[in-house]
Amino acid sequence: MTSALHAQSASPEVGVRAVAALLAHEVLLVTGKGGVGKSTVAQALARRASAEGKKVLLIELEAVSRAAPLLGLAKPGPHPQRAAHNLDLAVMDTMDSLRYFATKQLRIEALVNLALRNRAVEGFFGAVPAVKPILFLYHIWQILEEHGPRGDKKYDLLVCDLPTSGFVQGMYQIPRTLQLTFRGGPVHHYAQGMGDLLRDAKRCGLVLVTLPEEMPVVETLELQAILKKEHGVEPAAVVVNGVFSDALDPRDLHDLAQKVDQPTPDAQAVEDALAIERAVAAPEAKNLADLASWLWAAELLAGRRRRAETLLPRLTSSVPGRVLTLPFLFRRIMPLEAIDQLANALGQEVA
Amino acid sequence: MSSATPGNSLEQILTSARLLVLSGSGGVGKTTSSAALAVYAAQRGRRVLVLTIDPARRLLQALGLQGNNPDEKPAANVAHPVLPKLAEHLPGGVVAGGSLDAMMLDASTGAIAMFERLLPDPSQRDQVLNNRIHRAFLPTLQASPDYIALELIYELAQGKQYDLLVLDTPPMHNALDFLRAGNTLASFINERVLKWFSKVPLPGSKPKSGILGWFGAGSSMAMGVLGKLFGSDALPDIAQFFVAFQDVLPRLKERALATDAMLRHPSTQFLIVTAPGETSLREARHLHEQLRGHGISVAGFVVNRVLQVPEALHGGGDTSDLRKRLDKLGLHGEHLDRVVNQLAEAARRLEHLRTSDSGQFDALRKLAGRQGFCSAVPQREGDIHQLAQLRELAQAIVDGVTTGVVP
Repeated sequence: MTSALHAQSASPEVGVRAVAALLAHEVLLVTGKGGVGKSTVAQALARRASAEGKKVLLIELEAVSRAAPLLGLAKPGPHPQRAAHNLDLAVMDTMDSLRYFATKQLRIEALVNLALRNRAVEGFFGAVPAVKPILFLYHIWQILEEHGPRGDKKYDLLVCDLPTSGFVQGMYQIPRTLQLTFRGGPVHHYAQGMGDLLRDAKRCGLVLVTLPEEMPVVETLELQAILKKEHGVEPAAVVVNGVFSDALDPRDLHDLAQKVDQPTPDAQAVEDALAIERAVAAPEAKNLADLASWLWAAELLAGRRRRAETLLPRLTSSVPGRVLTLPFLFRRIMPLEAIDQLANALGQEVA
Repeated sequence: MSSATPGNSLEQILTSARLLVLSGSGGVGKTTSSAALAVYAAQRGRRVLVLTIDPARRLLQALGLQGNNPDEKPAANVAHPVLPKLAEHLPGGVVAGGSLDAMMLDASTGAIAMFERLLPDPSQRDQVLNNRIHRAFLPTLQASPDYIALELIYELAQGKQYDLLVLDTPPMHNALDFLRAGNTLASFINERVLKWFSKVPLPGSKPKSGILGWFGAGSSMAMGVLGKLFGSDALPDIAQFFVAFQDVLPRLKERALATDAMLRHPSTQFLIVTAPGETSLREARHLHEQLRGHGISVAGFVVNRVLQVPEALHGGGDTSDLRKRLDKLGLHGEHLDRVVNQLAEAARRLEHLRTSDSGQFDALRKLAGRQGFCSAVPQREGDIHQLAQLRELAQAIVDGVTTGVVP
């Protein structure tokens, strides 16, 4: 369906270029406030990249994997599992990353087991909050350094479905903190490598996901400003998820609303009309009330679309050329086909 | 929704519980719901404190805590009175004695306050606070303010200043850490760990045989491993960090047990906040399971942003009737077809969401069981930025309550 928003968007080539630039990174860190559809966007990015022939690893950090049921994986874990053509999935928690780190450092499996069984070690890693982003960062940094049997890279792209923005801020802070804390030795060395990766805008792209509603947009702008000011990081893209399209041609809606003599019908107006209907049971009132319900539906969608239209310029002026929008699909359940629908829609609308 | 409960268990909780904990995944409206229920209880005459982690500016505005300067946030870990605004802005006034304070939790400043309470001796305290490891990680504590927050809440619960504390917990993946925080901290810094670390030469002190001799002496395996992981030059700082905790330990353990008991006490009630959507439902289930596994029973679910569609559109609406009515209004031919089709499409889409929401609600009622309740809170357009709107939301939560059902 052609929406007003679609008609206004930049030319298709702009969108294609923006998506190609985004998927050319080696790592995409996908974050945003809870409930904005971070995981959905991460999944769509991973599907799009793998459909374009890239070898992709999707990484989740949640206790409950969101991608595994979609991709038909029964027991996802920290070791990448083949989920689809060109697409692997890894679901990791702090202890998984700790084991990975320890294996890299100690090299001997028995020693790793001994070390991780030790309560002091486990306690140290389990209780210090900053350890989580450190170990995760180390983990993805190392995956990138790993090479396949012929010396080629195992993955072209890592798409990381990260927890909320606090975690990401921690991640950008960590290399500096570690380098100040450990002035030499292995940790100092890792911190250097991790910091270089995060700062390299060509390799590592930050994707901020938001919704076309006032609060999420304001918070995205705040996060963007903080990351820029404190860490010199600019997002590679801002993805506005769930943008409504009109159900009714705006002119038709306006025309109809005027005819029913309710310029902006809302839920309350419907209630009022229904109350009148019940009170007088007059045919005209019934006509009005029933039409008001239909108009309410059209107006609800149009209202959401208008709000998106007024909010998007605030994002585009802060992150010019890198704001992508995804349509609202009118579903509460997102099966793989819906994710693929979004993956295809990426870049079709560039605000 | 079918039969409403006699007596409404949520209303009972709001008038009798001493600690109300709201859990849920991110973005489901947990913070706003917490504030709303706190306003409700305060209006009923209770002295209420609402504790939130990271309130949006609009919510601060609604609580009257946000001035005109957007960069100015109210001081953290301090109770700010909302009452003057409350009485002014709530239709129907406030029952005598009712008051509302709000507190923003901040872990990095909270940590210092915690050590001040636990370590009255300033030199001991400085040893902890000035430790290189501790200082390095103090700012990042903010990402996971669990144990600091829980400790602060325990302090507040001990005081007699409030009848009810309403706690807005961090998003789900932290919520369980949050509840285990006391235990985690106690096991983190246990006696055995301290004993190991106390063998490491401290910075400034003269090592008797140096790090190598210390390994050679067959000391702790943990130290060897930590040395390999971090480099042996960092060990003294790590060791000092642990040693500095030695005196805090017994008090911390005592606290851990006490906070745990507080969370299980019958006067503490848990609500799970969620919103329509498969992911939110799955996470609400997961959280419910985890809380039960932790020995905590969940009083009920609050489902925010449930789409409500006028009855005339249920089942997609009567499009032939719509056609007739539009025809009467003077729409004809191709114009009429277009409008009918588009309106029908809009109704069909919203109806799809509505039936999906109502199916999800029924699933939660089964999860809540006969002892629990579920509240369906209608979706509202636009942000909440006034106190009266918070009160309306609370009413909607209370009015939306139905009992759980036998699975």
